[in-house]
Amino acid sequence: MKKIINTPERFIPEMLEGIYAAHPDDLTFAEGDLHCLVTKQKQAGKVGIATGGGSGHLPLFLGYVGKGMLDGCSIGDVFQSPSAEQMLAVTKEIDQGAGVLYIYGNYNGDIFNFDMAAEMADMEEDIRVESVVAGEDVASAGPTAEGEPNKRRGVAGIFFVYKCAGAAAAAGKSLDEVKAVAEKTCANVRTMGVALTSCTVPRVGHPSFEIGDDEMEIGMGIHGEPGIRRGKLVPADEIVDEMMEPILKDIPYRAGDEVAVLINGLGATPLEEQYVMFRRVKQILDEKGISVWHTYVGEYATSMEMAGASVSLLRLDDELKGWLAAPADTPFFKQFQL
Amino acid sequence: MNADKLRGLLSAWAALMTEKRDWLIELDSVVGDSDLGLTMSDGFTAASEAAAASDLTDVGKLSYQAGKAMATAVPSTMGTLMASGLMNAGKVLKGMEDAADTDFFQAYLEGVQNRGKAQIGEKTFLDGLQPAVEALKQGKTPQETVEIAWDAFQHTKGMIAKHGRMAIRGEASRDLLDPGAAVAALMMQGYAGIPA
Repeated sequence: MKKIINTPERFIPEMLEGIYAAHPDDLTFAEGDLHCLVTKQKQAGKVGIATGGGSGHLPLFLGYVGKGMLDGCSIGDVFQSPSAEQMLAVTKEIDQGAGVLYIYGNYNGDIFNFDMAAEMADMEEDIRVESVVAGEDVASAGPTAEGEPNKRRGVAGIFFVYKCAGAAAAAGKSLDEVKAVAEKTCANVRTMGVALTSCTVPRVGHPSFEIGDDEMEIGMGIHGEPGIRRGKLVPADEIVDEMMEPILKDIPYRAGDEVAVLINGLGATPLEEQYVMFRRVKQILDEKGISVWHTYVGEYATSMEMAGASVSLLRLDDELKGWLAAPADTPFFKQFQL
Repeated sequence: MNADKLRGLLSAWAALMTEKRDWLIELDSVVGDSDLGLTMSDGFTAASEAAAASDLTDVGKLSYQAGKAMATAVPSTMGTLMASGLMNAGKVLKGMEDAADTDFFQAYLEGVQNRGKAQIGEKTFLDGLQPAVEALKQGKTPQETVEIAWDAFQHTKGMIAKHGRMAIRGEASRDLLDPGAAVAALMMQGYAGIPA
């Protein structure tokens, strides 16, 4: 293990101390617990939006707490859910009487704890909480059948859900309206990833999985969950072709549709390679007559030092374009009005 | 079940999970991320300590508090599920100083099931606890239910996992024992060991 850390045990608390030291005007924490991060830039009367999950994915999750996006985030140890109690502390801090929306990724540990936190908020604090669980990784499970729970993992595409729901909340929409925007965004975003190397959880000390120097795994999750195919590394265009096919098949796209694209680096893949990937994504979309309304390239949801990337497509209509275009200002994401 | 009996039960569970920690770790390492032994010993210890430190006589409120302490101590999947059992028993028994043991266990079972959304037969903790709770309800002694729970644990071999990491193995999961059901059997063993 080769990392710039002091001790594995102090890795997350010290990371958080650094975050608060770097952004003293924007971020603070609730109930004396560094893991309960909340914005200092409160907007009176608006619906609060909270997220949370394990550490190891920066800028996800806490990096999107700020104006026009999220109000709070509870953070667990590396790849471990925070507790319901910590989620409740954040919920109490960000509720301004308009209720709180939880937006988080589709993982059992997070679901159980957020559900418990929502019950506690209702039972103990009389705060109304609604939840939207994002799961858009097309490699992780098939499409959701009618009446069945969504089995797909939530990955980088949750950025779009934060962005659109956050803009709706900032515009003064009600809890039900903000939830509807979040659900609509979830329904229109799809992601597929590829991993080239493993990450190492500091307290474990060795790579989470073995993969050969000349291998890649298409569809691997951001904690190293198994993908759909492991094989020899091939040129970028072929990788992107294999990732784009299931994404485009999963929603019925028509010529003339507009999308936002997110190319997301998993931690150790340089921007140069991400732009090589986007070049091919744009070619494929051009061939299908799908126009790219806006593009984001960079690290949005990482897996520590894992090499690899994901492609997310958000199918847009006028409403979603409006929310995506709104300004945002968080420590890790800033955007002027598009 | 009253507050003092619940304190004794949680203390017995904490001691047993600590004693069997390495065995649970080994069992879980085959199918999960091998933290089950740690979360169960740490979690039930936290629940037991919270109950011991409280002077509540309301068995429901005490169970809820113990569950919250466990949820905070071990927010992993299995930790949260076990805490949900205690918290639901708390909600159901709230306002009571004495309740039937079967009501406590039934509420515990439902709390875990409502949180995890698993069905019977899907190779989980429920497949260990549910047959034991049914036996208790039919008048079997706690000692008799211990054997029933261990049998039920053995019978998770043969079931296809629908939840958690084991589910990824699909058909191949049939050959494996479910570590969650082992926790259920240990719980019944702890229950049989305390004064009725």
